[in-house]
Amino acid sequence: MSYGDDTTVIARTVARITLPLVLVVAIALLFQGHNLPGGGFIAGVLTTAAFALVYIVFGMEYVQETIFGDEYEPAGSVAGPLVVDRYRTLFGVGLAIAAGTGLGAMAFGKPFLTHTDEVVKPSTEYVAWIPGADFIFGTLFEFHWATAFVFDIGVYFVVVGGLLAILAVVGGE
Amino acid sequence: MATEQVVVAPLLVALVTAILTLVVHRYVRVQKVVSALGGLAYVGAVAMLIQRVRSGAGSHGVEGVLTYQLSEWGAPFGITLVADDLSAFMLGLTAVVSLLALAFSIQYVDEAGQRVSYHPLYHFMLVGVTGSFLTADIFNLFVWFEVMLMSSYVLVVFYSGPQHTKAALQYVVLNLVGSAFMLLAIGGLYSTTGTLNMADLARRLADPASFGISLVPVLGLSAVLFVVFALKAGIVPFQWWVPAAYRAAPAPVSAMLAGVVKKVGIYAIIRLYFTVFANAAPMDLSLPGVVGESTLAFFGPVLFIMGAASIILGGVAAVNRDNVDDLLAYSSIGQVGFIVIALAFAAGGVVAGWEAPDPYGSVAVLGLAAALVYSLNHALAKAALFLASGAVYESVGSIEFDDLGGIAGRMPLLSTGFFVAALSLVGIPPLLGFFGKFLVFDAAVNAGSNLGIGLALLGAILTIAYVTRAWNRGFWGERSEAVEQATPQYGLFATVLVLAVVALGVGVAFDPVVDAAIDAANAALGTGDYIEAVGLEESLTSGGGGH
Repeated sequence: MSYGDDTTVIARTVARITLPLVLVVAIALLFQGHNLPGGGFIAGVLTTAAFALVYIVFGMEYVQETIFGDEYEPAGSVAGPLVVDRYRTLFGVGLAIAAGTGLGAMAFGKPFLTHTDEVVKPSTEYVAWIPGADFIFGTLFEFHWATAFVFDIGVYFVVVGGLLAILAVVGGE
Repeated sequence: MATEQVVVAPLLVALVTAILTLVVHRYVRVQKVVSALGGLAYVGAVAMLIQRVRSGAGSHGVEGVLTYQLSEWGAPFGITLVADDLSAFMLGLTAVVSLLALAFSIQYVDEAGQRVSYHPLYHFMLVGVTGSFLTADIFNLFVWFEVMLMSSYVLVVFYSGPQHTKAALQYVVLNLVGSAFMLLAIGGLYSTTGTLNMADLARRLADPASFGISLVPVLGLSAVLFVVFALKAGIVPFQWWVPAAYRAAPAPVSAMLAGVVKKVGIYAIIRLYFTVFANAAPMDLSLPGVVGESTLAFFGPVLFIMGAASIILGGVAAVNRDNVDDLLAYSSIGQVGFIVIALAFAAGGVVAGWEAPDPYGSVAVLGLAAALVYSLNHALAKAALFLASGAVYESVGSIEFDDLGGIAGRMPLLSTGFFVAALSLVGIPPLLGFFGKFLVFDAAVNAGSNLGIGLALLGAILTIAYVTRAWNRGFWGERSEAVEQATPQYGLFATVLVLAVVALGVGVAFDPVVDAAIDAANAALGTGDYIEAVGLEESLTSGGGGH
């Protein structure tokens, strides 16, 4: 059996093209979220939107059987289809990551949720002979590391897990 | 100064437990174990915090008031947590009730219940309660209220039958409206006073001219906020959600809602109106029935009327209920009325521009201490009674008085627990309830309020009436068929008995409790210490704490 028989070719094609774009934008928003517009929440919502597109165009079965390799069962139990269990685990792991970054600060004797950040530039000592090394390695590869980013990843998982669980349960009915 | 991690410990223990129970949700037994260990760890964390506060540790040179700046942002810009005697008292009450309700839940909630996240929700509710007791930031208070409410919404609709859904819908809509008002009031306070930190708010209100604050809008906004707290506490005229919600929720959740979540509303009233708004400079109040110039002169009569109405309505309505949960729900409206009129006496004792009173003498301290002791008694006794109701339901299969009768002979352990808790609610010495009632009467006498004494008497008589009726219909008399065929759940009975024994033990060894309550009352009125302990910074760059 093939998936998405009841949707048009246009819908399926558009979904195939937009899906990677949406996910890339989501990841970009996630990565810049700790000091620019974006962040774990909005990235999570976008990712969920991408999944919603797959749900609508290819159907619930597609996500469950192809992506997760589970048997599809529309009304698994009180708590919804089986796939919801996976989403709930994601939700829990996300919360654990977010809370974990807060607790991590306490290991250094700082108050709960204290964050720190550092701008890391790769050393140009051994590649100084390359023309423009300072620009290439010093500027392009410069990365602003922040522990708040880890927190954002936690938020991202919470939002993705939570919203997908709602989609799966409501969609399953 | 070393960071006092102990302040945030109870909050984090509850949070970590909630998350862990969520992560292990596929393993039913493991989840129970994690949940139970988390409950014990919570009690441990609260005990450590109480010990630390009671031993006089403090921040910024103030004894007994510990502060904690989340994320190391200094006050008033960052979120401050404050643990003083008042917070410690409320947390202690929470720890006892939550542990026993949890012990009850672990036996009571089946696998299907666990599948719909009972344990994570329970611990998230605890997170919300703990955060509300600790925070010194009014917007953060809103956030914790929401955390608490979100979990309680799901717990109320837990059984998902038609009547549960109806009750939960009512509860959700009402609380959403309440939350909207709360946000509105907080936003208004922020735009009027320019701060969200409670200590900063108190400081600014004391000197409105130099901060360019007009006090009258602040009073109005605080009244809006008051409505929200009254709603949470279930005081007349905001009581009507109480019976349906308590009947719909599983027994241990009803125990938590009546015992602890209601007290969050009471705590918020004490903290904001006695610690913060009472510090406002005298203002010209030309309102009917208001004598004096302080914020509390305005709220005193309001508290009195609402408390009086709660006592009468709750008591009268409880007398002719058909089932145990309804009776207990109406009773808790009446009992919270007692707490609120004690607060009204205390409010009458606080006058504008007052000095900190002598610790045992003033009506303000007495009234607050009475409210706190009564809260503790209500938390223990009412939680025990709700758990008893749940145990009856599990054993007999019904809590309708028509199906009950003669439980005392059939299940003596449960009956003993119910009896002791009921006596504590009535106020028989040497149970804690006696001291609670005694202090309320004492406050009424000291406040010179004859009307108050009369009301408290009427309330006490009504309490005796409905408790006697519950006992006669349910526990004495002809043994009903359902009771005869009951399968006693001894594990559940044990939790009821333990709570009843705690109410008895606290009554027998009352000295430390009354000391704690009086210290808590003084902490609530000690705005100066509160402000000093928070250690407000003038600008973000001046650096505080551990920088």
